[in-house]
Amino acid sequence: MTTPWRLALFVLALIVLVPAVWHVALALPAFGAPTEQYGAAVNALLTATRHVTNMVAAVNFDVRGFDTLGEESMLVCAVTGAVVLLRGTRGESMTDRAGKIPGRAVAPRTDATVLVCRIAATLTLLFGVYMALHGTVTPGGGFQGGAIAGSSLMLLYLGEGYESWRRMVRSPALDVLEGGGAFVFVGAAAVPLMLGYALLQNVLPFGTPKDLYSGGLMVVANFAVGVSVAGSFGLLLLEFMEETRSPDSESMPDEED
Amino acid sequence: MSWLIGGAMVLAAIAGLAVVLSRDPSRQIYALAANGIVLTLLFFVLQAPDVALSELAVNTVITPLLFLVTLAAARINKARQ
Amino acid sequence: MSILPWLTAAWLFGIGVYGVVTSRHYVHLIGCLTVCQSATYLLLLSIGYWWGAGPPIFYDHPPGTPAVDPVLQALVLTDIVVGAAVTALLLVIALQVHKRRGTLDPQSLRPLRPSQ
Repeated sequence: MTTPWRLALFVLALIVLVPAVWHVALALPAFGAPTEQYGAAVNALLTATRHVTNMVAAVNFDVRGFDTLGEESMLVCAVTGAVVLLRGTRGESMTDRAGKIPGRAVAPRTDATVLVCRIAATLTLLFGVYMALHGTVTPGGGFQGGAIAGSSLMLLYLGEGYESWRRMVRSPALDVLEGGGAFVFVGAAAVPLMLGYALLQNVLPFGTPKDLYSGGLMVVANFAVGVSVAGSFGLLLLEFMEETRSPDSESMPDEED
Repeated sequence: MSWLIGGAMVLAAIAGLAVVLSRDPSRQIYALAANGIVLTLLFFVLQAPDVALSELAVNTVITPLLFLVTLAAARINKARQ
Repeated sequence: MSILPWLTAAWLFGIGVYGVVTSRHYVHLIGCLTVCQSATYLLLLSIGYWWGAGPPIFYDHPPGTPAVDPVLQALVLTDIVVGAAVTALLLVIALQVHKRRGTLDPQSLRPLRPSQ
């Protein structure tokens, strides 16, 4: 379908939908109305019953934990699909040594970049782990901590170069992180089922609020999701970077990227 | 504080327009990162710190980097052919 | 002011779809899809907002203080994860298209012509 036809269809859709959107925008409840019943009940009750202070993490991992189980499986499936698609055409010969791009002139990294990235990557990784563990106490949680830890892996690539990065961050380790995290989460969901309770029911002792260990099973789920998400993003970066390399050429030791 | 929320929403609309109007993908990456930062501020103003953290980590750092590596892989594959 | 969030969400979605319709590069198209997704984040969070309320974190305040809706924020968190996964998968598919057909222009890629 050529562009003029697509634009004509788009304008036609706009002519129909814009009055509808205007009508709906006027009919929706006013911006800033008080919280609805479900949210108000969660805000009022969950600190006393689950001993957590972060209501969003409590909703994500306890009240609506089944949805997070589905979301975690979807993330694992998406990353698996991406890896299968990329390795399917490239071949399964995943060597430990990074591939090279023959005939490409590279400029070495400046000292300032390397130093700043080394400091920043370490601090970011620590911050990500802190955020994932304290998900039930302060703003944060498994997914946020895992994404921050994943971005620390990328900062490491920025500072070190692809060759050194591949030596530090090995592909089997990322696979274990991603799959192991998802497995621990599914196990944390299945263990109450085997003990005779409902799925994802909080069977561990609840702990004290505002403490590191609070919320029972939520701490385990937070950490598992954080580890899995960090592994997912690292694996995605590794697969994408392998696409830019030719794995069957020899690596020259004095050439770096 | 209504001017803060209104201003942040107008900024988000402008940032979205900037992402669409930058046709060259290597320029669009910066627009995407700016869009992520503007949305992070908007979510922060709407009293949602968890969502703001998640948006910052994902849409400002990781997604533009994946875009950049995809563009590099496409260019290198074309040079190889 | 009270309908600005809904109109901003509709505007973001509209220009995202316009970007998809008139795109000349697949990676640019995926970026416009990101704009469409951000429209849903804005809509969900605006529904849950309460004038003068604080975030749903009760570390410093006791649990009785007014707080915005945490269920909608959990929905937006899931939405962001889904958006990231879909973007990554779409980028992989764009790379595969480039490897097979040599171009990333949607308007010069006709579907399934056997000679190309």
